[in-house]
Amino acid sequence: MVRKKREVGKLEELDLMAAMNLILILIPLLLTSMESVKIAVINVSTPQIGPASTATPPDQKPDEKPLKLTIALTDRGITIFARDQVIENKDDPLGPTIPKIGNDGKTESCNGDKGKVYDFAKLQDKLEDLKNQNTTEDKIIISAEPNIHYKCIINAMDSSREKKDGDKKIKLFPNVVLSAGVA
Amino acid sequence: MAEDKKTYEYLPENYEEDMLARKRAANKVRKKEELARLQMNSLMDILTIMLVFLLKSYATDPVNITPSSDLQIPKSSAMLRPGATVVITVSNSAIIVDHQPVAIVKDGKVDASKKRGGEDGYFIIPLHKVLTDAAEKKRRLASLNPAVKFKGICTIVMDERIPYRLLTEIMYTAGQAEFQKFKFAVVSKHG
Repeated sequence: MVRKKREVGKLEELDLMAAMNLILILIPLLLTSMESVKIAVINVSTPQIGPASTATPPDQKPDEKPLKLTIALTDRGITIFARDQVIENKDDPLGPTIPKIGNDGKTESCNGDKGKVYDFAKLQDKLEDLKNQNTTEDKIIISAEPNIHYKCIINAMDSSREKKDGDKKIKLFPNVVLSAGVA
Repeated sequence: MAEDKKTYEYLPENYEEDMLARKRAANKVRKKEELARLQMNSLMDILTIMLVFLLKSYATDPVNITPSSDLQIPKSSAMLRPGATVVITVSNSAIIVDHQPVAIVKDGKVDASKKRGGEDGYFIIPLHKVLTDAAEKKRRLASLNPAVKFKGICTIVMDERIPYRLLTEIMYTAGQAEFQKFKFAVVSKHG
């Protein structure tokens, strides 16, 4: 038998064309299907139906009503309820707690209404006061009129979650419960 | 030193030019004989790293959303990462559950014929059917695999212009199908 002499010193080069083709097709495919935005989530729950809890938080006085903080978004503004009572607006007792304000151009309108916007900064101030009075409470009920846009709800949730004070973040009411619409 | 000078004297005057011309000619011949070969190794390395990175980021995202004109997701300062749950997508044209179209949305409303109780009803019949099936599937999976638990959580991806009324209808229907906890998907402002 005659054996072929193996060529010494000559390296066979791999044919990478097929692999290159595959990779060049896969990369644009994955790039187009990849999300271009970073998605986050907000945890929300619905009101629980069942017997009311009889246990009171340890720091709460037994005769004191639970806070049951509720904010309602309406066409006119934001109304805040605490301990089943409306927090009144001193300037307009019959109107919402925080009426809508004129758009200064800087604030992005959430309801498509370019003239007036919700005053979320004032809402945060009010909620901060309430948080200082009830430090252990972290639950907030959000409600709205049927025609209020989803974006306004998200903005209200953002405002009630935390307040930025320079570099410091003040935690407000992160536990959101979404209730049925305002009739 | 004197000897060195002598050697140079023997060289022809245009020796260097001659040598350069010869080299150029030799190079030309060589180029004609051999095909130019690209060095693909470094390019292959880059592409392979990119491919692995893209595949990894593609596989780890439980909620995959492509924003369009019909589905503009609101921005928020929330930072929680989405989990693997049933996803209800509500755009300005349709309600979709896990890539399966369920009902048509027109002017921010579901057609009254698709709801129990007509126009004022909260119960969207086709959505309830699909969500009940999804819950059943999850529960069966949980019974077979003790590591998986059915927690009744669903993620809602919704267009920012959808009215609150439709949101409450969807949450009510999901609640009837044993989904009690919700995660609202938003675009993170933190990048």
